[in-house]
Amino acid sequence: MARKMLIDGELGKPSEDDKNYDFDLFVIGAGSGGVRASRFSANYGAKVGICELPFHPISSETIGGVGGTCVIRGCVPKKILVYGASYGGELEDARKFGWELSEKVDFNWKKLLQKKTDEINRLNGIYKRLLSNAGVKLFEGEGRLAGPNEVEVTQLDGTKLSYSAKHILIATGSRAQRLNIPGEELAITSDKALSLEELPKRAVVVGGGYIAVEFASIWRGMGSTVDLVFRKELPLRGFDDEMRAVVARNLEGRGINLHPRTNLSKLMKTEHGIMAVTDHGEELMADVVLFATGRAPNSKRLNLEAAGVELDNTGAIKVDEYSRTNMPSVWAVGDVTNRMNLTPVALMEGTCFANTVFKGQPSKPDYNNVPYAVFSIPPLSVVGLSEEQALEQANGDILIFTSTFNPMKNTISGRQEKTVMKLVVDAETDKVLGASMCGPDAPEIMQGIAVALKCGATKAQFDSTVGLHPTAAEEFVTMRSLTRRVAGQGKPKTNL
Amino acid sequence: MKTMASSLTSPKLSSLSSPTLQTLLCQKPPLSHLLCSSFVSLPKTLFSLSCHARFPSQYQRCCTFTVRSQSENGTDAARRYDFDLFTIGAGSGGVRASRFAANFGASVAICELPFSTISSDTTGGVGGTCVLRGCVPKKLLVYSSKYAHEFEESNGFGWKYDSEPKHDWSTLMANKNAELQRLTGIYKNILKNSDVKLIEGRGKIVDPHTVDVDGKLYSARHIIISVGGRPFIPDIPGREYAIDSDAALDLPSKPEKIAIVGGGYIALEFAGIFNGLASEVHVFIRQKKVLRGFDEEVRDFVSEQMAIRGIEFHVEETPQAIIKSADGSLSLKTNKGTVEGFSHIMFATGRTPNTKNLGLESVGVKTAKNGAIEVDEYSQTSVPSIWAVGDVTDRMNLTPVALMEGMALAKTLFQNNPTKPDYRAVPSAVFSQPPIGQVGLTEEQAVQQYGNVDIFTANFKPLKATLSGLPDRAFMKLIVCAKTNKVLGLHMCGEDSPEIVQGFAVAVKAGLTKADFDATVGVHPTAAEEFVTMRTTTRKIRKSKPAEGKTDSGVKAAAGV
Repeated sequence: MARKMLIDGELGKPSEDDKNYDFDLFVIGAGSGGVRASRFSANYGAKVGICELPFHPISSETIGGVGGTCVIRGCVPKKILVYGASYGGELEDARKFGWELSEKVDFNWKKLLQKKTDEINRLNGIYKRLLSNAGVKLFEGEGRLAGPNEVEVTQLDGTKLSYSAKHILIATGSRAQRLNIPGEELAITSDKALSLEELPKRAVVVGGGYIAVEFASIWRGMGSTVDLVFRKELPLRGFDDEMRAVVARNLEGRGINLHPRTNLSKLMKTEHGIMAVTDHGEELMADVVLFATGRAPNSKRLNLEAAGVELDNTGAIKVDEYSRTNMPSVWAVGDVTNRMNLTPVALMEGTCFANTVFKGQPSKPDYNNVPYAVFSIPPLSVVGLSEEQALEQANGDILIFTSTFNPMKNTISGRQEKTVMKLVVDAETDKVLGASMCGPDAPEIMQGIAVALKCGATKAQFDSTVGLHPTAAEEFVTMRSLTRRVAGQGKPKTNL
Repeated sequence: MKTMASSLTSPKLSSLSSPTLQTLLCQKPPLSHLLCSSFVSLPKTLFSLSCHARFPSQYQRCCTFTVRSQSENGTDAARRYDFDLFTIGAGSGGVRASRFAANFGASVAICELPFSTISSDTTGGVGGTCVLRGCVPKKLLVYSSKYAHEFEESNGFGWKYDSEPKHDWSTLMANKNAELQRLTGIYKNILKNSDVKLIEGRGKIVDPHTVDVDGKLYSARHIIISVGGRPFIPDIPGREYAIDSDAALDLPSKPEKIAIVGGGYIALEFAGIFNGLASEVHVFIRQKKVLRGFDEEVRDFVSEQMAIRGIEFHVEETPQAIIKSADGSLSLKTNKGTVEGFSHIMFATGRTPNTKNLGLESVGVKTAKNGAIEVDEYSQTSVPSIWAVGDVTDRMNLTPVALMEGMALAKTLFQNNPTKPDYRAVPSAVFSQPPIGQVGLTEEQAVQQYGNVDIFTANFKPLKATLSGLPDRAFMKLIVCAKTNKVLGLHMCGEDSPEIVQGFAVAVKAGLTKADFDATVGVHPTAAEEFVTMRTTTRKIRKSKPAEGKTDSGVKAAAGV
């Protein structure tokens, strides 16, 4: 009966039938989006259950952990390793500032990994406490959809629990994909890369996305030899082309060997390590080969098709603007929907879901001007449109302001690495459409710029802001000279 | 210079090195300005002055008569001058005003004292305080000093050193001074490329349209005074043993144990510098707290963090005398007692405008009690043809503000576009360790001006500190108008604060609301994202304005998450 009511679109109206459900909301997956949605829903008075796989740093069909990708296998452990790796460059830079360092500086990977694991264990505990403090009931086990209002949780010991829920939210995230080439089993993915026993002396990183360039930077900063193999002319497809070139130059400047327009054809085990053979016939020797070749939504074992939930051809759950699937009682947020795969976006989607369903305040996540960062060394951060996107969308001209400068620290350290900043401005409205920066502290700097862009700030408003001296960030408010003016229409798309 | 050999890249420290043309610190003008310059010759006098000799001085004297009666900004339209603009002082404000005036078509000359790292009545240098004795060298020393903390942090990230990293002061000084030489050269080139005539020497105003530089007279339609300020040391016995910030930036050797007198930003920045470079640092402040004028919570937070890093604060102590003992060490006598054994005693007790011996009194330019030149909103002094920008006017003593004033003045004078500098929501930073960034009002100012405000704060251990195990924390604060939801003030103390605050300054300046902040998605994982994820009000202050005579309606419970 309950099922009928929901399909009829009576959702949200208080009903006698509500009492027949075990939960108002049952969430499958306790990562960023799932935890946020369940906490907020519980705060709005809903009775909430959530299930998550047992904790382990490396995920699989049967292993996960409260906190999800961000906390256990993504943002947090990655940033910890980036911090660790950044000291490599800092030590070089320190010398000209008068520091005398012993010839032998050791880096102990095992120690860093242990501390990283301690930290994610701590965070896993914090997340569990967040849930219990919010009154959300946590079940450990694998959840699957048993019907429009039915979830089945298979516990560790194999016993199955079954609960009914008025709403079901799927927030199971995604997982790294592997290339289908001979010897692929010799390679690892980012999960494993965050938990290696030993620091690889030689690493081959396959892929041109943010995960690839981050790991390349991490291992290079720790002193490894790194080969970065990617299909396109430049890494970071989808980012502003000019900034992609800057990142490529910086990666090279830090000593990473770039192999653009290159695919791996096979991997072979040899006496001296893994041999990675490229489609150009090159043979790269490595201790570790990392596949950073995309991620796929975790939608396979949820029984979605049988229950009638539609997926797209990548396996992502199809949802409407309110994160609702084609089944009115089933919703989905986060990477499993493959919209914009970022932690803060999953949080936003989770918040909007809770507002829509349990606060009586229908809310759509807003994907405009979402800032994000690539924690390469040095990092890249962007908000709004790239120059290419702006040209595609523009009716009139686009003004481009760029600034390329030697950061003050480099004037003494002698490091030959320029910081590059860029503003993309609509010539007619003076609105700043996009901002990007590649250089130290870029992600920290971009957050405030993002607030300005989110609210439609104009270039004149940037210019009227006084600089904070001496910082790198002040360059964003002192870009007086136009670099170029580009006509908005008819520009052919690049395919670098 | 042994450390240099260990680096793979060759140092780019000389003013002759072209690969670093793009390096600009205080100002980063279009690249083309620099690329077309040679950077090779930096003669003491860039231009021949002979052409000016043909203007007889009596001509100028006879004309000054009528000047006061002229309407258009005090100039005599009919009269011919050597220059449209003569600027005294080639620091941030003076260079900016001169360059832009020249770009707008004016003929411009600027005079500046010969270069020295220590300023005096006879030494200065193109670039001014910011480049030679302020922002730039200070920040270079902060960078150097901060490595000590980074080495410590790095231990927590698995890095280990066979022996403790040691610091060589003379390497730092040599590299710092090479950089300053390079920058002063760049500044000279900026002037040259803008067609501004640089005259080395001490400028003195003779009459409303005449400047005397070491005996040579130059007439000008307008005169800008931009001579800046200088450290001030109170007159106590033994003051000759004290150093000021000029000297502290260029010491021959690192202090073993230093007393820093003062609680302002300069005192805190140097305390951080010397503490990082392993000096024993004592800070003496007259008041209970450091950084008067800053947000109270920030004041408490920064001194707590600095104390944890090993700086000893002596509060409510007023220095009375410096005594030099037989072994050469210095003692500082205060109202509370005497602390002995200092190798250096530094006074960071304020700065005073450089208005002495400028001829101001004789020509009738009014100055305030502290010597600052009094100006109106357009930077015009009491003499209509004489203008002043930057620290010499003691308005808001920051480089970017001097730049703003210089730019506004150039527009007013030579672009027929009267422009007032806008002092609202000017961000500023203290490069203490940890540093501070702020924009807008303090909580105290906000309560006074708006009565009802909501305060959002976050005090947290950054991700880096959880790994390093060091007791570093970060503090953030948003001050929001309860009525309009506008963000009135934003403050942060913690790593990267100055870089973080710049972008938010654009938002605060644009008058954005807390709702706008909340609508912005975070950049994860950063410290800065905390500013857009502050959902819970820390406290609500409800105080009607005194004029309305209402009493506090009480603090409401914080909203739930």
